[in-house]
Parts: sequence; structure tokens; C-alpha cells
Amino acid sequence: MRVALSLTVASLKMYFRNRQAIFFSLFIPFLIMVIFGLLDFDRFSGADVGIVDQAHNEASAAITLQLTDRTDELVNVELGSLGDETERLTDGEIDAMFVIPAGFDEPGGPVTISATTDERSPQRAALAVALLGQILGDLERQAASTREITDSGGADGPTIFVSTSTLEGDDRSYTAFLVPGIVAMSIMQLGIFGVVFALVQYRQQGVLRRLKAAPVNPAQFLFAQISTRLSISVFQTLILLLSGMVLFDLAVGDGDVVSWLLVIALAVFGGILFVTMGLAISGVARTEEVAAPVTNLVSMPMMFLSGVFFPLDALPGAVTVVTQFLPLTFLADAIRAVVTDGAGITDIWSELAGLAAWSAVVCAAATRLFRWE
Amino acid sequence: MIVAKDLRKRYDDIQAVDGVSFEVYPGEVFGMLGPNGAGKTTTVEMLEGMRDPDSGVALINGIDVTREPMRVKKMIGVQLQANAFFDRLTLSELLKLFGTLYGHSVSPQDLLDRVDLGDRGKSQFKTLSGGQKQRFSIAAALVNAPVLIFLDEPSTGLDPQARRNMWELIKGLQADGTTVMLTTHYMEEAEELCDRVAIVDSGRIVALDTPLALVDGLLETGFRNQRPTREATLEDVFISITGRALRDE
Repeated sequence: MRVALSLTVASLKMYFRNRQAIFFSLFIPFLIMVIFGLLDFDRFSGADVGIVDQAHNEASAAITLQLTDRTDELVNVELGSLGDETERLTDGEIDAMFVIPAGFDEPGGPVTISATTDERSPQRAALAVALLGQILGDLERQAASTREITDSGGADGPTIFVSTSTLEGDDRSYTAFLVPGIVAMSIMQLGIFGVVFALVQYRQQGVLRRLKAAPVNPAQFLFAQISTRLSISVFQTLILLLSGMVLFDLAVGDGDVVSWLLVIALAVFGGILFVTMGLAISGVARTEEVAAPVTNLVSMPMMFLSGVFFPLDALPGAVTVVTQFLPLTFLADAIRAVVTDGAGITDIWSELAGLAAWSAVVCAAATRLFRWE
Repeated sequence: MIVAKDLRKRYDDIQAVDGVSFEVYPGEVFGMLGPNGAGKTTTVEMLEGMRDPDSGVALINGIDVTREPMRVKKMIGVQLQANAFFDRLTLSELLKLFGTLYGHSVSPQDLLDRVDLGDRGKSQFKTLSGGQKQRFSIAAALVNAPVLIFLDEPSTGLDPQARRNMWELIKGLQADGTTVMLTTHYMEEAEELCDRVAIVDSGRIVALDTPLALVDGLLETGFRNQRPTREATLEDVFISITGRALRDE
């Protein structure tokens, strides 16, 4: 144990003296996080609006037509029941929901359309509400001019209003989606890249041979490698989450200790999986020239297909059949559930099971493939 | 100290070691001479517990190396042919770490002083010159105060000054009572240092005796050096002009 411990201390020292490694493993995920966090993907597509038409009259049909029959494709409209559309709004499928009450714009009937918007996509929701306001204004002007012709009295007709409210819900902004994904990705990068390159280098230089000549058990050396990476992985996870809190108002779970502990546990759990994966790869890739493409081959698909940057449902269905089982998908989903939804350990058991299954497979591969020389 | 009995090792289609038997006595400097690829390193690695022999027995102080490699590794000092140590640790830190690996607490300064690197404790291994690297790897081999030390080509690639300095270091080890087994392909090194030498070729020991006896044996066959013998060599000239002082500090 003392041997494993002093090897761990030594390799932590080596890590923190390697400024370049710190830069690449700590700063790059941070940089990616900031860049993607600043990019506002909300702005790039039209607003999705759900209309609940309870009036079924001339006025509601006119409003719906005005919103649907547009050439600028600023909004995509769907009609549905109040229950369905509320659920779609909660799930983030639509950006705003307009409820046209029964008897709308009829004599003595209600004159207010209630618009509920999703605070996660404020721009698109605001766009939809602005369009609705514009349409109502047009309708009112038309009605007013008609009234003027028929009723020269020019009495003030009923004005129509939009009352807006935002959905009371969890923090589901893009950054709340992104940051946990970046945390998961950096755990993977640190595990795979850190271990593969360190070990390939040690092997090429002959450091591993020198250790083999000493009375060191391979398990002690590997323990040291794994525990070093895990400490760094936890450290890095905390840094990324803290910067997410500062930069993007991210809340970790309900802000309680349990959520933090769970995230740290996931960083350790995921770290073990990916460090072991790195050990397996370092057994296959004997030189740095081979190690670079092999590590990229393993990590790149996961980086883009595991829902780190974009939700998995952005992918074609056939692809998600496979990608939902990727190790990074399990890790990213679990961390995201804890950070964004404040999930407890019982809520993420399927992800934990997925991670455990992968760890078993990868561990078996690593013991078979790992070589000292 | 070392007993090797009929050691054999085969790599794919090469019989690297083909039945090697010899003994090394306590306190002696034993040399293994031979051209590159003769099987010197493989033999040494089997004695160090780094490589299992296909057949044969290797005993260090009566302990079977194949059966109890960890026990043997704890007792011996090892300097490998290609020396490599972790980057980004200082020499002192490396020696401390290696001490822990062997279960010994060491004084890095004492060890560094012993190999003339007393003022380099805060340096990193990769910044050392060739001769300094070799000396440091001997210091690392001494962390467990070994009774037996293996040196695999300790002076290969060193300039004449550094090589002479290495010779003094090895003589010092012997004077301290450490048994030394070294490999080399420099004959003058074997003559200077070794009490006995084994000459290996194609995985077999072809001669084993004291350097003097081996030379006498050759002379008895009627061999005479074609070149007239002189009292000094070109290396003596080189050393007398450039001095013995180390150049790599």
C-alpha cells in the first residue's frame, strides 16, 4: 500500500509539473464549454408554437391561419388540447403555448389570449409572442375599420389582449444541458488520453522496464495510475461545475451536498471506466504514432454521439439505437440528471448499471491487452 | 552468490540463450563479454527476475529467481542497458521513490554523493549528460543497499574520461563488499575490472576464467599479436593530453 501510495504521490507531482498537460486537460474542456455556451442555438430556428383553440370561432380560425400560413417560416404551429400542449411545453418541445379561450372575441366573451412561454428559449418564445401581438393588432384594426363603416358611432369595441406568463420549471437552458455533458466528456478525455500517452511514453522510454526490475507488483503501479487520474478527474469536474455556476448560472442539483457527492461519485465511477479503457488501448497501441489515431478513433464518436453537445434525439432514430448504449452516453446522462434535475441515486440506476457493465467489459479487455514491455 | 544452471531462452526463431551455466562468487566482479546479440542481456534479465527462462535454474544467494522473483528483486541492484526514469521528478525525488519501492528509506544526498552527483539533487534525469545518467542509474540501483548489483553495459557510449570515472565507481562498489556482475563489449574494461570473465557467443559460454588465464591460454596455443606490443595505447595518449577530469559536469 505504501508503494502504491508513493507512486500515486509521485505521479500527481509529475502531472502538476506538466504545465502543458494541465492546460490541455483542464483548460480545453473549459474553453469548449465557454464557446458552446456563448453560441446561442435558440436563435437559429423558428419558434415552435402550440395553439389550444377552445373558441372554434371565426376569430380563432383567423388567428391560427395568420400564424400557420406564413411564408417566412418564423413559427411552426401545431394545434392540440390544453393537456397535450402543456406537456409539450414542459418537455421543451414547443417554445410557447397560446390558449384561445372559448367564446373569444364574441360579444360578452373573453378578450384575452393567454401565452405561456418557455424560459429556456426566451428568444424564440418572444418572437412567437411578438408575432401573435402583431396579428391581433392587425385583426383589431380590421375590425375597427369594419365597425367604422357599419357603425358610424365609432364606439370603442372590445380590445383584445395577450397575457403572457413564463413556464415555472427547472433550469433547462442549453448551458444547463451543455455543462454536465462537458464534465462527462472531460472525464473521458482525461481517462483515455492521459493514461494512453503516459503509458505508451513510459513503455517506449523503458521506465516500465525499470519498474519491472524493482520489487513492484503490477497491481500497485496500476492502482497508482488509476488513483492519480481519479483525483485529477474529480478536481477537474469541480472546476468545470464551479465555472458553470459562475458563468452560466448553473445550479448543481438542488444545490445540496447530496447532488455534489453524487457528481463526485460519478466522476470517480466514470474515471475508473475510462482509465481502464486507456490501459486497454495502451496495450494495443505500442507507439505514440499509433496511440494518437487509436485514442481518437475511440473517443471521437463518443464525443459527438453521446449527447455531450446536442441531445441524442437530434440524431436519426436508427443511430440512437446504438449511441444510447455508449459508455459516455451513460455517464453524460447520469451527470446531467443529477446536475440539471437534481436526480438521486435511485433515479440514475439504469445509467449506473450501464457504466458497471461497460467497466466489467473494459476491465476484462485491459487485463488481457495490457503489457509492461 | 549467483548460480546459473543450464539456462535457456528462445524468442520465436532465435535461441537467445542456449544452455548457460556459471557461478559468481561473493565479492567478485564478474564480467560477461560478447558481441551484440550474444545473449548477455537476456541472461542477465533471467538472473534479475525480469524474464522467465524456458528451462534451467537461476539462484541468487540460494533463492530460486523464477519461484521468488520479488524476494530476489528486493536483494539485488539493477542497472538496465537503456536507462529511463520518470520525467518531471528531481533526482532526489526519484531516489526517494525508488527507496520506497524497495521498502528502504534512503538519504538521496548520500547516494548522489557516492556517484559524484552531490550537487545535482534538484536536476531532472533528462537534463543529465550520458555519463551522469549512467552514474545516476547506479545510485538508483543502490537504494536497497544490495549485496549484488547487475550492470548491463555500464560504460557504453561514454567518453574515455567518463568511462574511467565509471571504473573507479565500480571498483568502489567492490571495495564496499558488493558483488558485481557486469556485461560489456569493451575488452580493456573487462581486463581492468573483472576478477573473472565469461565469453559468450550465440547464447553459449565459450570461455570462462580470469582475464590473465584466458590471455595465457591463448599465448600457449602459439598466438602472437601481429602488431608490436607497446608500453602505451592511443587511449593513454588521449587521457594524458585531455586529462582525467570529467567533462560532463
